[in-house]
Amino acid sequence: MPHVRSRSVTSLATAAEAGRHQREWFADLRRRVAGGEPFALLNADVPHEIFRTMDIPYAVSQWWASLVTAKQRSVHYLELVRQRGYPDYSEQYNSVTLGSAFDPEPEAGPWGGLPKPNIVVGDASGDVTRKIFDIWGHEPGVTFYPLESAAENDIPVNWWELMPHRWEEAVGPARLDLLTAELENLVRFLETTTGRRFDESRFREVMALVNEQEEWNRKTRALIAHARPSPLSVVDSIPSVMLPQWHRGTEWARDIAKRFYEEVRDRVDAGQAACPGERARLMWIGRGLWYDMGFYQRFQEKYGAVFVWSMYLAIAADGYIRYGDDPMRALAARFAAFSDQLYTPPWSSEWYVKEARLHGIDGVVHLVSDDPRGSYFTARALEAAGFPVIEIHADNVDGRTFDDDVVERLGQWLENVVMA
Amino acid sequence: MLTALAALEEAYARRGVPPAASKDRIDGPIDGPIDGRSGARALVVGYVGADMPVELLTAAGVRVFRLTGDPESDFALGDRYLGRGVDPVARSVLARLLAGSFGDLDRIVISHDCEASLRLFYALRELGRVEPGTALPEVYLVDILHLPHRTTARYNRRRIGEFAARLEAWTGRPLDVAGAVAAHDERRRLLAAAAELRRAVPARLTGRQFLAVANAPLPVHEHIVLLERLLAEAGRLDEHAGRRVFLSGSDHDTPHVYEAIEREGHVIVGEDHSFGDLSVTGPVGAGGLGTGGIGTGGLGTGGLGTGGIGTGGTGGLGTGGIGAGGLGTGALGALAEHYHYSGPTAHRATAGERAAYAAAAVRRCRAELFVAYCRAGDEAPAWDFPAQRAALDIPAVLLERQEYGRADLTALRKEHPCPM
Ligand code: SF4
Ligand code: SF4
Repeated sequence: MPHVRSRSVTSLATAAEAGRHQREWFADLRRRVAGGEPFALLNADVPHEIFRTMDIPYAVSQWWASLVTAKQRSVHYLELVRQRGYPDYSEQYNSVTLGSAFDPEPEAGPWGGLPKPNIVVGDASGDVTRKIFDIWGHEPGVTFYPLESAAENDIPVNWWELMPHRWEEAVGPARLDLLTAELENLVRFLETTTGRRFDESRFREVMALVNEQEEWNRKTRALIAHARPSPLSVVDSIPSVMLPQWHRGTEWARDIAKRFYEEVRDRVDAGQAACPGERARLMWIGRGLWYDMGFYQRFQEKYGAVFVWSMYLAIAADGYIRYGDDPMRALAARFAAFSDQLYTPPWSSEWYVKEARLHGIDGVVHLVSDDPRGSYFTARALEAAGFPVIEIHADNVDGRTFDDDVVERLGQWLENVVMA
Repeated sequence: MLTALAALEEAYARRGVPPAASKDRIDGPIDGPIDGRSGARALVVGYVGADMPVELLTAAGVRVFRLTGDPESDFALGDRYLGRGVDPVARSVLARLLAGSFGDLDRIVISHDCEASLRLFYALRELGRVEPGTALPEVYLVDILHLPHRTTARYNRRRIGEFAARLEAWTGRPLDVAGAVAAHDERRRLLAAAAELRRAVPARLTGRQFLAVANAPLPVHEHIVLLERLLAEAGRLDEHAGRRVFLSGSDHDTPHVYEAIEREGHVIVGEDHSFGDLSVTGPVGAGGLGTGGIGTGGLGTGGLGTGGIGTGGTGGLGTGGIGAGGLGTGALGALAEHYHYSGPTAHRATAGERAAYAAAAVRRCRAELFVAYCRAGDEAPAWDFPAQRAALDIPAVLLERQEYGRADLTALRKEHPCPM
């Protein structure tokens, strides 16, 4: 496997602080779990807000997978999965984390290793996620709480306009009734198994903090969309958005979202640029390339091409905010169709076009991995709207799938299509 | 006159084509005109997926058949719209739809039995929106889910009710649910008896023949007549020696893999996919997972059938519908429960459920070799294999990442077919 991997260079104070906080938080988490507190491992699309409200320590499966991958250990964990007889080519984003449960030396993992969870929660999306978590649930001392993944026939296209207040209309009552009921049951399950209380006023506070945090992200998104040249690239924005995203519902996360906004605003005011010679504004569609974050900066020097857009800030801006008097239903509305926002046409395709227009995008790089749906329609919609699209086929946590000629292909595309 | 088996095989060879219009009251052209026009033909509906409540389609008096792929015809267009990470069966079905291979379809209904079916639904919905030139028929999703919880039961009940209402809107007539359920239950009872012929030692049907017997695309009443004749002619069926194989894993919508395995001198005496033994359930209303028994139960109470939307009759959908009748009452409630607990398919069941089923089924059909067949793009079955193998006391072989319609049989040819 010959691959040249590079580390990214980030310069944002909030990104550095978020990274520091993440390490401290994880060390504290390990202490708490070692001291006998419960520990939950949650899939990204699971309503973390319930665990936040009940002060049950948790970590996010995809965050752990991205850390493991950034530490170049994902193949090790996939081998552990394979050794148990399971496929190592299937839904790697979750199976990497499962692999860490099979590690005979967990403490050798990144940051001292992932503690053993008591509770894992995931939704039954696709054909494999539930199986993976269920297998985990058969490890001694682990209980798996599954949530459904439901689908709808007819949906209004303009979800990003409807979601903040008119989510009932966007998501539809069938899915909302289902997830609301599942969450009510989840609360009872957690009360019973952990002995912790679910306090309604605390829940409302958490929900309000989340909305505040994402509102700051919304303002930051607007700044970046309109500033020329771009004050930062996705290498800066991804950690500044995603690490706080895993802490949403805390004051720290809300406050750092605000500081992120201020830092970007100061950069814009000072005329600072990610790439002062900016000639092309690029959009990255797909999950982060965790094993090669330096990839995103590789096209700045030679071409003046800057990745100004990734889904992480944009979905924070559009995908989470939910207002309403019934907090449990509002929480269900945040997640009952969360991945549809990103992956299911027409929601996904129309949203990417809206975002490309908003950000003045010159070219779109589309990471196509096997599992997300709707790739063709995303590319088609962007191209129909006049945006050139190049596709790269690879898995975002399995570096073995990344072809060596991608950088060269992309360079040619920049020269011959985007800047021609 | 043809033997019943020959007639069933001949019908099976025409799979993927609408059944000829028949005078049969249940499946044939509806008695009355559609949309008030006289002489209108019955709607032709193609369906996709194991979770389709076919009873409702029969009850609506439409001509219905399951859409199947074809490994021998080109499905590049399916690859294009769905991506290559999806089960090739769905890619092939989509390509065939676009090529018009299924004749004139009025509607397509899709169940959420696996990720590939759901993606097919999304692709068809989006093609209808952005590429009207493809002239695809209206597509409808029946979202039956499978977590074993009451929250899911309630959701399924609602979706079944919505589907029934949609069918009534399409045809303008009330549904004869009770009659349709009775007819399908009778077919199930006869199929269960046919499955016993295959399980006999020596087998009186090959796996390939059983696929034809179970999946002949005939109106229910015609199918019943042939199945009755098949059973009457059972004494004249050939005996099939050969190593008795249980085929686990991916769905087989065509006979290709069966033929490949049986050409080696094996006989497939059981399987766990939706075109085979898993379609042979107990009667509706018997309370979940029946294993081909001749059940009691039947319809449950009350039921639909009278009146219905648009005709101003008495009772009708409203009484059996959401809310009014409650969860389990009426024919719709019984159907919802039946499909909630159908399976266990690779895509919806846990590895533990699949292993328990495999152990019982292997004993029941006295299989000597367990073959887990996993198509490339259909990854769920590979996750089941370690638990299945552990639950079995016969040799087990895993065929991973197989090409659609093909089987790499080298592992089966080894003397000790246990590669791991
Ligand atoms: S390829 Fe995969 S395993 Fe090898 S280093 Fe990169 S990420 Fe780690
Ligand atoms: S690419 Fe050139 S201009 Fe852009 S940042 Fe690097 S050095 Fe400055």
